[in-house]
Amino acid sequence: MSTSTQAPTPAGPDPAPRPAAAERGDSIGARALRAVLTQRITLLAVLIVVVVLSYVALDAGGYLTAPYDPDYLSASLINAVPLAMLALAELLVILSGRGGIDLSVGAIVALSGMVFGFMYGQWGWPLWLAVVATAGFGALCGALNGFLVAYIGFPALIATLATFYAFKSLAIVVNQQSPISTPPIQELYSLTRSVEIPVIGGQIPDVPLGIFTFLLPTVLIVWLLLARTTYGRRLYAVGTNDVASLWAGQPVRATRFGAYALAGLISGLVAVVTVAQFASARPDAGVSGNGMALPAITIAVLGGVAITGGIGRVAGVVLATLLIVWLNAGILLAFVGNEGSQYQLLALGVVLVAAALLNGFAGRRYGVAD
Amino acid sequence: MTTTAPPTSPRPTRRARVLPPPIAGQELVLVAVIALMWVVLALTTPAFASAGSIQPLLVATAPIALAGIGMTIVIITGGIDVSVGGMMMVCAVVTAKALVAFELALPLALGLSVAVGGLLGLVNGLLIAYGRVHAIIITFGTMNVFLFVGLQIFASRTVNGIPSTLQFFGRGVAGRTLGVPHAFVLTLLIAAIAWWYLRHTAGGRHFYAIGGDAQAARLAGIDVRGRILAAYVVTGLLVGLASCFLIAQGTSSLDQSVGNGKELAVIAAVVIGGTSIMGGRGSVLGTVLGALLVQTVTSGVTQLGWPSQLSDLFVGIFIIVAVGADLLRERARRRRLRAKGAAA
Repeated sequence: MSTSTQAPTPAGPDPAPRPAAAERGDSIGARALRAVLTQRITLLAVLIVVVVLSYVALDAGGYLTAPYDPDYLSASLINAVPLAMLALAELLVILSGRGGIDLSVGAIVALSGMVFGFMYGQWGWPLWLAVVATAGFGALCGALNGFLVAYIGFPALIATLATFYAFKSLAIVVNQQSPISTPPIQELYSLTRSVEIPVIGGQIPDVPLGIFTFLLPTVLIVWLLLARTTYGRRLYAVGTNDVASLWAGQPVRATRFGAYALAGLISGLVAVVTVAQFASARPDAGVSGNGMALPAITIAVLGGVAITGGIGRVAGVVLATLLIVWLNAGILLAFVGNEGSQYQLLALGVVLVAAALLNGFAGRRYGVAD
Repeated sequence: MTTTAPPTSPRPTRRARVLPPPIAGQELVLVAVIALMWVVLALTTPAFASAGSIQPLLVATAPIALAGIGMTIVIITGGIDVSVGGMMMVCAVVTAKALVAFELALPLALGLSVAVGGLLGLVNGLLIAYGRVHAIIITFGTMNVFLFVGLQIFASRTVNGIPSTLQFFGRGVAGRTLGVPHAFVLTLLIAAIAWWYLRHTAGGRHFYAIGGDAQAARLAGIDVRGRILAAYVVTGLLVGLASCFLIAQGTSSLDQSVGNGKELAVIAAVVIGGTSIMGGRGSVLGTVLGALLVQTVTSGVTQLGWPSQLSDLFVGIFIIVAVGADLLRERARRRRLRAKGAAA
């Protein structure tokens, strides 16, 4: 419903003169405000700086239970790996438009994790083969979503709600509710250790290995896919207006199908990461508590992905993940016990609602819907 | 929507067009499926057909169906509310703590829970109606906030020693009259009122109009914001009542898992009941049947001695089948309309 009129003369019952003035934007302050309010990347970058600086200040004042220093920030990045990857999966799906959303990613993580547990932990497959097969299995699960949504015409919310239930149930039943934690699986925990970066490693803190083995490749590939390939442009086109894309001769169904299958593939990779983190293939990984899907969608939306499709960038998602991970890391230090994890919920909720409202406000103030 | 109806007898044809039949195809199918499942379960597991098995099933259906009535209205307006689980947690823990601390009487406990639910619904409604942000984003956010509030009130401890004030809606003998659980009767009563309101009053039709096309509804003079606000507040009120049922069904203690994942169960009941997630179409009757179906599956799987988690698989399959059937019917209807349009 948001008006996306780029023109300085807004169409509407009350033509406010302010957008026109902001368009010229002579003063630096006004221009900076405009950039922060209308460009999600700028806003997120500013927020990250604010969050980190305020924690550093709190730390200096002695209010935190442990130092909030570069080492801690770097170590907490391990939490960003699954979060950012699933948020990228949601980015692809939400971009594809027509109410695109994937509630089932957490359940795919759980089910693929069990499959990985069988292949690597019990059947003794080589690691690379097991990882590839798990990613393939995840893609298969995603393809089921894609088939239902793109070819049969199910609303995405419903199709993925149904597969969420189905995958979650299968994950629990497949090994009689028990986790797989044989020695090879337990040894995977070494994947989560921190490593020193060569050459410049002396000056900066060690970085969790998972960042290099899983997160960065995913980020890079998704970015290349969206920004540098025909498929990416097609996905934006389909998400913006699928009827127009169809008439422009684009393979709308295949494009949308691909988004869901890719989301499944990424979820399969996340399954490997979670198995390594827990040192065990747990049937309830990804669906316990609030699950993994809802935080991932939250991060994607916070990163500026429009729920209506066609708008969203990889950089926004990555920055939103950093913001939430570092915000949460600080909260853990600021509160004792499980108070911290509760305040993380509050922070996530407030940040999401505030960002969404700000989006709407900025859209009306400047006549630009981000 | 200008149909070139013959001007001979405008009144009866128009009336027939405006309102769908009182019981839609989806609901008949659901009744048939539930009946079939009950017969099969009764034949395969002798314990199922007994009152001791049916009564808990009806009691357990009540909270999902009740919250589903609100969710139906919300989804009819084209919105969605994923914060239902969080709301249930807050309502349940507030009511349980108040029961322990002040030994409230039954009406007061109900009133408190419903009021808290209404307040939370108001928060959702205000943000969605006036913030002009899609409902799913707002309720994702408020879900987290509600969970925070609920967990804070829990203060890391389960609430113990809840008095049996709410037994009137519980599983026990006190919760039944002539063998029929009160919770289920009250749910049916509220469903009947909601059904009549949505179908036969102008205010109720406004919800459908908004879901069909909010812009057109606004231009037709409907108070779109007020109606949307009302939908979320009603959902909150009903969730408040449903939370009382949840407390009543439990033991004398309440832990932090209350309401966990209930939003998806409620949405599942609504979509199985034939309400279109796109808005503008749906019925409360279907939602109650959908909730009954989900609960029958859950109960049936347990009684057959299968792993209880398998019931989720069947719920997923039912969602696909129910919505898939609806999609096919809708497609056929559109094709018929197009054929008619081409012929005219």
